[in-house]
Amino acid sequence: MSWLGVDVGGTFTDLVLFDRVSGSLRILKTPSTPRNQSDGILTGMGLLGIDMSGLERFVHGTTVATNTALERDGASLAVLTTTGHKDVLIVGRGNRMAMYNIKAPPIRPLLPRSRCFEIDERIMADGTVLRPLDEAQVERVADDLIKAGVEAVAICFLHAYANPDHERRCAAIIARRMPNAVVTTSAEVLSEYREYERFSTTALNAYVAPRMKKYIGDLRTRLLQAGSLAPLSIMTSNGGALPAPLVEALPVLSMLSGPAAGVIAAGHIGAMARYPDLITCDMGGTSTDVCLVRGGEYGMTTEGRVGAFPIKIRQIDINTIGVGGGSIASRSSGGFLTVGPRSAGAFPGPASFGRGGTEPTLSDANVVLGRLRLDRPLGGEIRLDKQAALKSIGELAEAIGITTIEMAEGILRIAAVSLAGAIKEVSVMRGIDPRDFALLPFGGAGSLHAAEVADELGMRTVVVPPLPGNFSALGLLLADSRRDFVKTHLSRTSETGVQDVRQRFKELISAGEKELSEGSAGSQGRQYLASLDMRYSGQSFELSVSCPLDVADMETIEKKFGEVYAARYGATTKAPIEIVSYRIAIWQISEKPVLSPPESSGRSIETAITGQAAVIFGGISHDVPIYQRELLPPATRFPGPALVEEDGSSTVVPPGWDAMLDHVGCLVLNRA
Amino acid sequence: MVIDPITLEVLSQALISTVREMRATVCRTASSVAIYDAKDFSCGLFAPDSQVVAQSEDIGSHVVPLPWSVRSAMEKLGSGLAPGDVILVNDPYSGGTHLNDVTVIYPIFKDGKLIFFPAVRAHWADVGGMVPGSMSGKATDIYQEGIRIPPIKIIEGGKTNEAALELMMSNMRVPEERLGDLNASFASCRVAEKRILEICDRYGIDQLMEAVRLDMDRAEARMRASIDRLPNGTYYYEDYLETFMGGKFEPLLLPLALTIRDDRMIADFTGASTQVPFPVNSTAAVSAASVFIAVKSVFDPAAPLNQGSFRPIEVITPPGTIVNVQRPAPAGSHGEIRKRVIATMIGALSQVAPSQVAGDLCRTSFHNLLGGFDTRAKREWVHYEWSAGGNGAFAEDDGPSVMAPIDWGDLVTVQSTEVMELRMPLLVESSRLAIDSGGAGRTRGGLAMQRGLRVLAPEARYSLLADGAVVPAFGVLGGMSGFPVGAWIDRDGEIEDFDSPGKISGHHVEERAMVMIRSAGGGGYGDPLERDPERVAADVEEGYVSEQAARQLYGVVLRPDGSADAAASDRARQRLRGLRFHIATVAAADSFEAGAVSRRRVIRLNPRDAAAIGVIEDELIEMDAGVAASLRGWVRIDSNVPKGCLPIDERACAIMKIKVGDKVELRRILSSVRPRVLFADAAE
Repeated sequence: MSWLGVDVGGTFTDLVLFDRVSGSLRILKTPSTPRNQSDGILTGMGLLGIDMSGLERFVHGTTVATNTALERDGASLAVLTTTGHKDVLIVGRGNRMAMYNIKAPPIRPLLPRSRCFEIDERIMADGTVLRPLDEAQVERVADDLIKAGVEAVAICFLHAYANPDHERRCAAIIARRMPNAVVTTSAEVLSEYREYERFSTTALNAYVAPRMKKYIGDLRTRLLQAGSLAPLSIMTSNGGALPAPLVEALPVLSMLSGPAAGVIAAGHIGAMARYPDLITCDMGGTSTDVCLVRGGEYGMTTEGRVGAFPIKIRQIDINTIGVGGGSIASRSSGGFLTVGPRSAGAFPGPASFGRGGTEPTLSDANVVLGRLRLDRPLGGEIRLDKQAALKSIGELAEAIGITTIEMAEGILRIAAVSLAGAIKEVSVMRGIDPRDFALLPFGGAGSLHAAEVADELGMRTVVVPPLPGNFSALGLLLADSRRDFVKTHLSRTSETGVQDVRQRFKELISAGEKELSEGSAGSQGRQYLASLDMRYSGQSFELSVSCPLDVADMETIEKKFGEVYAARYGATTKAPIEIVSYRIAIWQISEKPVLSPPESSGRSIETAITGQAAVIFGGISHDVPIYQRELLPPATRFPGPALVEEDGSSTVVPPGWDAMLDHVGCLVLNRA
Repeated sequence: MVIDPITLEVLSQALISTVREMRATVCRTASSVAIYDAKDFSCGLFAPDSQVVAQSEDIGSHVVPLPWSVRSAMEKLGSGLAPGDVILVNDPYSGGTHLNDVTVIYPIFKDGKLIFFPAVRAHWADVGGMVPGSMSGKATDIYQEGIRIPPIKIIEGGKTNEAALELMMSNMRVPEERLGDLNASFASCRVAEKRILEICDRYGIDQLMEAVRLDMDRAEARMRASIDRLPNGTYYYEDYLETFMGGKFEPLLLPLALTIRDDRMIADFTGASTQVPFPVNSTAAVSAASVFIAVKSVFDPAAPLNQGSFRPIEVITPPGTIVNVQRPAPAGSHGEIRKRVIATMIGALSQVAPSQVAGDLCRTSFHNLLGGFDTRAKREWVHYEWSAGGNGAFAEDDGPSVMAPIDWGDLVTVQSTEVMELRMPLLVESSRLAIDSGGAGRTRGGLAMQRGLRVLAPEARYSLLADGAVVPAFGVLGGMSGFPVGAWIDRDGEIEDFDSPGKISGHHVEERAMVMIRSAGGGGYGDPLERDPERVAADVEEGYVSEQAARQLYGVVLRPDGSADAAASDRARQRLRGLRFHIATVAAADSFEAGAVSRRRVIRLNPRDAAAIGVIEDELIEMDAGVAASLRGWVRIDSNVPKGCLPIDERACAIMKIKVGDKVELRRILSSVRPRVLFADAAE
C-alpha cells in the first residue's frame, strides 16, 4: 500500500514513495528524459522497485504544458473570434517588453495572424445579443481549418463571460466537424472579463492540450501495462492536485505544477515544525522561486505569465529570479559585475561539471570554496572537477584584479544580494518585514546559500526541511484537491443585493461541481471558499476580498473591502465601491502521509561526523566537520562552521550560525 | 578610501534596492489612480551635489528628467538646509516637466552632515487650473494649467508649513486626495532615509560615498566608451511639431546639430521654433532627458541610470523655444517634444551609426478623448485612449507593431474592449492592425492600430491631441515612411474628415456614428526592393501588407497560391528601380521659408519635374540618398528652377550624406493626408 509523488524537472526527475504500512518515505533522483517524460518516470519507478499492484495514488508534477508553450512546440492552432477583433492575440496590450531598446524584437504571437478567423456574432457587455452567431460562416471556417490541418481550436468571443451561448454553439459545430481536434472556449477556461488575458489563457490551453493529452494518455497506458491501477492526479498551479482527465482538458491549470508543489510542502512542514510564517527559496540550476507563506497561507495571484503571454488562472504567487547554481558570473562594459540571469544550464553546465562549460558559475564558486564537495556525485552522476572551477573563476578574478578566493566569495555574495532582492519583492516591497519570517530553502542549491541570504535580510532562522532535494515531489503527496472558478459580473455595491451575491456563489458552486464530477473527481469532504474581486469605481485593478458564502449584508462586504484596501494602500476613499468578479475555490482535503520523527536512539553528534573539509569563509580556510544528516540526533545543537550532507543537497552552516535537527526532522539553523 | 570590487557591487545593489523600495512605498500608499495604476511617478536618490546616484527604471519619460528638478531646487535652497527640512517643487521653469508632476526632495543627514536626498516626483491628478485634471489642449499660458510651486521648504525643522500647504490645497480639486499623494511621497522618502542609515551603519559612510563615486564614474566610463566608438563630426537632422493657427497649418521646426567629439556628445537645438501659446512647448529638462533616452536606447539599453551616464552628453536648448519654454507659455503637454527630440536624434545618428538605429517610431502620444453626458444613464463619461503606433524597423528585424515607444516604459497602450464597453456607452466595432501602415523597407516598420468606436449615447464629443498626422514617421537607409496618424467619422460608410488633422477639439459626434482612429506606423529600414520576396509573401498571407503594396512598393509578384514568383519579382523590381525619380542637386543658400512663427524646409521644383513625380504645391515630399534618414520638405513649384535640378542647402547635403551635384531620389509620401492642409501665412 503506497503513494507515489513524481516531480519532473528540467534536469532531474524526483520520486518520493510513501509506504503507508511502515510510514517510511523513500526518495530517488534520476535524469529527466525531455523527449518523453514518462521514460524517466518508469525508469525511476523500476529503480525504486515499486509494488505496482499496491500503488494507491500517483500524483504528478509535470513541465509538459509549460515546456510546450515556452518551446513553441504545441499544436497547429486556430482562433475564432468576434468580427473586428482578430488582432486581440496578435497585438496584446501594446506594452513594451524590452525597456529603452530601439531594437526590441517584435513579439512572436502564439499563432500566425492568418490563423485568426473572425466570426460574425456580437454579444454586449450585459450579455444581450447584438448580432446572432452566423452558423453557416462557422461551417465555412471549419472547412478551412480542416484543409489547413488544424489540431486545436480556441473559440474566443467578446463578453462570453456574460453569455457563453455563442461560444458553446460555435464549439459544438467545430467539434462535430473536427472530431479529433481539441476545442476550447474562453468562458469554460476563465469566465472573467478583459479579453486579451482571457483569450491568451484560452489559446495557450488549446495550444498545449494535444501534447498534454497524448502525454497523459501514454503515461496512463504504460502504468497500466506495468500493472498499476492507481488513479493519476496532476498538480496544478493553485497548489491543488486534480484528476488527470480534468487537467487533460485544462492543461493551462498545470503551468506551475512543480513550483506549486514545493510551496505546498513548505506550508505543511512549516506548520508541523511550528514555523507558520516562512519565505520559501527553491533554488535550481537556472532560477530560484520564492514565495511568502504567512500564517500557513500562501498568496495567490492572477498575474501569471508563460513567456510573453499572460495566464489569468489563479495561481500561487511565486516570484522567480534568474539566479541558480548554473548562473554565470561576468563583467560588462564599465566594470559592472553580474551573476545571472545568463546560465550555463544543464549543458554545458558549470565549468566544474566537466561537460565543456568554461565560464564561471555559482556552482564553480561553491566548488572553489570547498562547499560543494568532490566525493558526492550530484544526482548520482556528475563528478566535480575542481581544477576546471579554479581556472574559470581565476580568469575572471585576474580580469578584475582580485584573488581567486575573493572572486569566488564575491560571486556568492552578489548571488545572495540578488536572492535577497527577490525576497524583498515579496516582503519588504509589500510592507512586510522578512525578519519576522523563517527562510525555508530547498531545491538542489537552496541550502548552500540560505544562511548568507538570511544574513543579507537580517533573518535569524533557516529551516532546511526533510528531503530538500526532492521537496516538490514530497509536496505532491501533501496536496489537497483544489479548483478555482471565477465569473465576472460588474455592479456597484450600492446597487447590488446581498442575496444576489449569495446566488452568484451558489451558481458558481453548482457549475464547478458539475465540471469536477465530469472529470471523475470524488465528492467527499468538500470545502468552499468564496471571495470577491472589488475596487473603487474608476480604478482599473481589483483587490481580492474573502467573503462568507452566507454573507448577511452588504455592509459586511464593504467594510471588509475597506480593511483590505487600507492594508494595501494605507487609506480608503469615499468613492463608490464595485464588485467586479465572483470567485469560488472548491477544496477537497486529501489524506496525507504522516512523516515519522527522526530517530534518536543510538545517535550522537560525534558519530554523525563522517569527515572534515577545508571550507573558506571570509577569506580564511576553516577545517569544518561534515555531518551526515541521516545520522544526526534530534534536539542537539552544533555550531558552525559546518557542512551537513544528504542525498541531493548540502547545507552550509557558516561561522556565527548553529544548527539542530528538530522534532519533525527539519534542520534548523539559527543566527547565534 | 579603498573599496573592493565586490563591496562596490553590493553597495550599488543596495542603493538600487532602496529606490525600488521607495517606488513600492509610493505604489502602496498613493491616493491617485494615475500614480498606483498607471505608475506615473518616479523615484531617485541624489548625492549632496545633486548628482543622481540611483533611479527607478520603469517609465523613461518620467524618470529621466527628475535630476533637473533636484538640481534647480538645490541651487535655490541647498545652502540653508537643516535636518527636518523637506522641499516641494513643481515649477516647469525650474527644471520640471509640467505642473502636474510634483516633486518632494528630502535631505538625509548623518551626524549633522548632509549625505543624500531621496526625491519622489509623482503625477498629481489635479493641480488646479482651467479644467479638471489641469492639462488642457486649449491652454495659452501656464496660469491656466494649475498652481506653480517654486522650490519651497514645505517642512522646516520638522514643522510643516501649514500656510503654504493650505494655500496649495485651496487651489486644487479633491484636496484630500492630493494630501494622500503628498504623504505617499513623504513615506517613500522616509523609507529611503531608514535604509540609507542602515547601510551607513553596516558599511560606514566613507565606504558608501566611495561606492557612489565609483558607481557614477564607471557608468560614465561605459557611456564614454559607447560614444568613443563613433567617428567625430557634426551630424544633423530636422523635424516638425504640428500646430494649426486660425485653422491653417503651421509646422514648428526642430533642428538638431549633434556633435561627436571623442567620447563626448553635444546635442544642439539652436534654431528651434520659438515657443507658442499652445501646450506644445516643453522644458529644457524634458528635452535633455529625451536626448538621453535616445542615446541609451540606441547604444546601451542596459546601462545604469545615474549621473555618470549623463555626464558625457551636453544638450543645448535656447530659452524661449519649444524645447526650453519660458514664462508664461504653457508646458502641459510634453509627450510630443519628447518624441520629436528622439526622432531628430535617430535621424542624426542614422548618419553615423546606421546599423544601430531604427526607423522613426510611434511619432506621437496620441491622446484621444471621447465622452460627454449620457442623458439616458444620467452620468458623465470620458474615454481616454492612447494606442501605441508602429515602431521603426531595424537591421535585424521588422519593427514591432503597436508597442509602447522607448520613452514609455512598459505602459499598457491598448485598452480592453470589454472593460470599455462595461463602463462607457461605446461599442468597439473593430480593433485591428492597419494594413500597409508600417513603412516599407528591407525590414518593415511596425503597423499602427486602427479602432472603430461607435457611440451608443445620445451624443458625444471627440478631441484629439496628436502629432504625426501631417508629417509621418520617416524611414532610414532607403526605408519608407509609415502611415500618419488618422482620425475620421464613419456614418455607415459616409466619411467625415477633419480639416486640422491631429488637433480636434470637442467635435460633436451623434449616436450610432463611429469614430475611427489610427495611430502612426513605424518607419522602414533599407530599400524595400531588397526585402526577401518570401517575407513579403508571408506579410501578404498574414495581412500585414496588401497585394497591391507588395507589387508597387516591394516589387513582389505573387503566384495564385500566394508564394513569391522570383523571376517575375526580379523583373518587377528592375522596372520599379527604373521608375524612381532621381534628380541632381545644386547648391542653394537657404532652403527654408518663414511661416507664422517658425521656418520650414521647402523643396523647389521645376513644374515639369513636379509633374513627373505627380506632386503639387504645398505637398510634403521626401528626398533620399538611401544612406541615412530621408529628409522632408514642402513642394514649391518654381519655374525659375531649371528642369532636372534640385537646389538644396549644405545642411540637407549633410543630412543625406551627399555632396552637391550628387543625385537624390525624390518621392511622394504615399500615405498623404486627407484633406490637404493649408499653411498659415507668414508673419509680417
